[in-house]
Amino acid sequence: MLKILSEINSKISVSMRSLMGILVVLFIVTGLVDNYFYTFDSIGNTLQIAAPLAIFGAGQTIVMLTGGIDLSLAMTATGTIYLISVKSSDGLAVSLTWGILFCLIVGTINGVAIGIFNVNPLIMTLSMSTVLIGFFSVGVSTFLKGSSSVPSLFVTMSSGYIWGPVLSWPLLVWLIVATVVMFLLTKTGLGRLIYSVGDNAKAVRLAGIKVWQVQLASYILCSFFAGLGGVILGGQSGAVSIDLATSLLLPTVAAVVIGGTSIMGGMGTYTGTIMGALILAVISYLLSALDTSEALKQIIYGSIVLALAWTYAQVSTKGKKPVGKK
Amino acid sequence: MKNLRLRERSWTIGITILFLILGFWRSQQLPKFGGYEIKTIILGVVPIALLAMGQSLIVIGGGINLAIGAEALLINCLTAKFMNGTSFIHSLLIAILGLLASVAVGVLTGWIIGASGIADIVVTLATSFIIVGIAMVIFPIPGGGTNAHFAQLITGGGNSFLLPLLAIALPYLLIWAPLYRSRTGIAIFAIGSNKDAAFLSGVDVKTTRIKLYAIGGLFAGFSGIALTCVTKSGSAIITISNAATLNSVAASVLGGIALSGGVGGLFGPVLASVVIYFIPTIMLGYGIDPAYSQIIQGTLTISVVLVGGWLRLRAKRSK
Repeated sequence: MLKILSEINSKISVSMRSLMGILVVLFIVTGLVDNYFYTFDSIGNTLQIAAPLAIFGAGQTIVMLTGGIDLSLAMTATGTIYLISVKSSDGLAVSLTWGILFCLIVGTINGVAIGIFNVNPLIMTLSMSTVLIGFFSVGVSTFLKGSSSVPSLFVTMSSGYIWGPVLSWPLLVWLIVATVVMFLLTKTGLGRLIYSVGDNAKAVRLAGIKVWQVQLASYILCSFFAGLGGVILGGQSGAVSIDLATSLLLPTVAAVVIGGTSIMGGMGTYTGTIMGALILAVISYLLSALDTSEALKQIIYGSIVLALAWTYAQVSTKGKKPVGKK
Repeated sequence: MKNLRLRERSWTIGITILFLILGFWRSQQLPKFGGYEIKTIILGVVPIALLAMGQSLIVIGGGINLAIGAEALLINCLTAKFMNGTSFIHSLLIAILGLLASVAVGVLTGWIIGASGIADIVVTLATSFIIVGIAMVIFPIPGGGTNAHFAQLITGGGNSFLLPLLAIALPYLLIWAPLYRSRTGIAIFAIGSNKDAAFLSGVDVKTTRIKLYAIGGLFAGFSGIALTCVTKSGSAIITISNAATLNSVAASVLGGIALSGGVGGLFGPVLASVVIYFIPTIMLGYGIDPAYSQIIQGTLTISVVLVGGWLRLRAKRSK
């Protein structure tokens, strides 16, 4: 048993080290292309832009560890900040309550359908996303009419710096989220259960644990992280449009996968996701510095994600040959 | 096995009834319901239905292709660019080349999944970016066109809806029907239902997967060409390809394909794609904001899978 554990441990550290290596190489290359990248201003800015992606990644990591996926995350994020912005005329407390309530409802519906009714997570959250897009497109012109500009408090909080040109508010929120998620995943019972449900749900159920409760909790947590990321993202752009977070949905999945979390669940860490988010942030800086066209950006972005996931899969399954995959 | 067949059949009956109700509803909405109106409906459905068939096949084989809309978009752009202002024969050749390109993309996707060991959803997520990027490079500004006679192969002339109907029926009859009975077809069902068991019984999982994605790509190629013929233009816009992919997944699920793989046929998804087309069209007929149709389509899919899950739950309890 101990031997297996140390083996897993060394495997994780090997892939962590290779992720670190990729990040360092990318960092050096980007700096060579654009010297401005090495300044504190630019690093602080890159971290600030990476923050919403990494916070979404926290939610995505949790549900993917249970063997699920949340594709409604982007619309949950957009919906939360939109509700907060529209209701902000009723006071901050009221608008925040609306935002929290919204996250709770979306997470609960996803969790109940996936946990109790065994609906495929991909289909459930994809449909949820469709429903939310419809709901808000209709709402904008009817029952949710109002100002789409984000309350000034969040705008300052999402772009302001606390200390020097590096530590910004989004970075602080991200650090808090990282601490909470790492503590949750490694030190609490729920965290252990999240891993075990993803690894072998049947065994967990036979051990007398209600699997659906773990899944419900994961999806609700994911919705809250989506909402939190949405608030920061909305604050950074100042106004909410329906496709505010859409372009970040696939990168969240990519960040989690690059970070080594298995899409089948049960294996992975939030540290990996943070690395994944940082790698993606540096890549997008590099691509803008190279002044590539939107089309070329898409091609390079997709190829890099594929190449990283591939490398990672090779590193982490070395010596392990599952039947049928040969 | 008997239960599965029964489930499949009752599902097909359910979606047929829904199709008939919505079809009747739509026919009542129109002042006149004749050949031309039926033709309009079928033409609107052809690209969705072909894409739904491709996606469903891949889901039956235990995969999922989130880049299938991008594949169709790429072929749409390729054909719209090169067919513009050419002769009939020339257009036909380009269409064949387009289909070959789309099969090649499918082969590559299937090979990457097998060689890398990464989950289908991650690979196709990444390739969807790459493919749309390539489409944007080839075709930066929406436009293009096709040979008028070539387009009539799919759109048909006058009020006859025979040719548009054939555009759906022929791929179904010529690809799916023989495949269903063939060794490859059985292998596809086998790897979809249990990859390890299929491997141990001598099925070449990797080759079968490559074939699976190649045939899926063929359907996507057909869909792209149909789009070129119907709209007479091409446009490399990522939201279009994403919406097409989502529609294809929704049509598979509504059409009775289990996402766990190994179960289903392509008839249900074709009817389901008509249902998906009808919902916004009927709502527009009443002057309702078509955004509502997204709520309905999403809720419909959720309720269908919820009921499916509930039935399975009940069956398990009563055992």
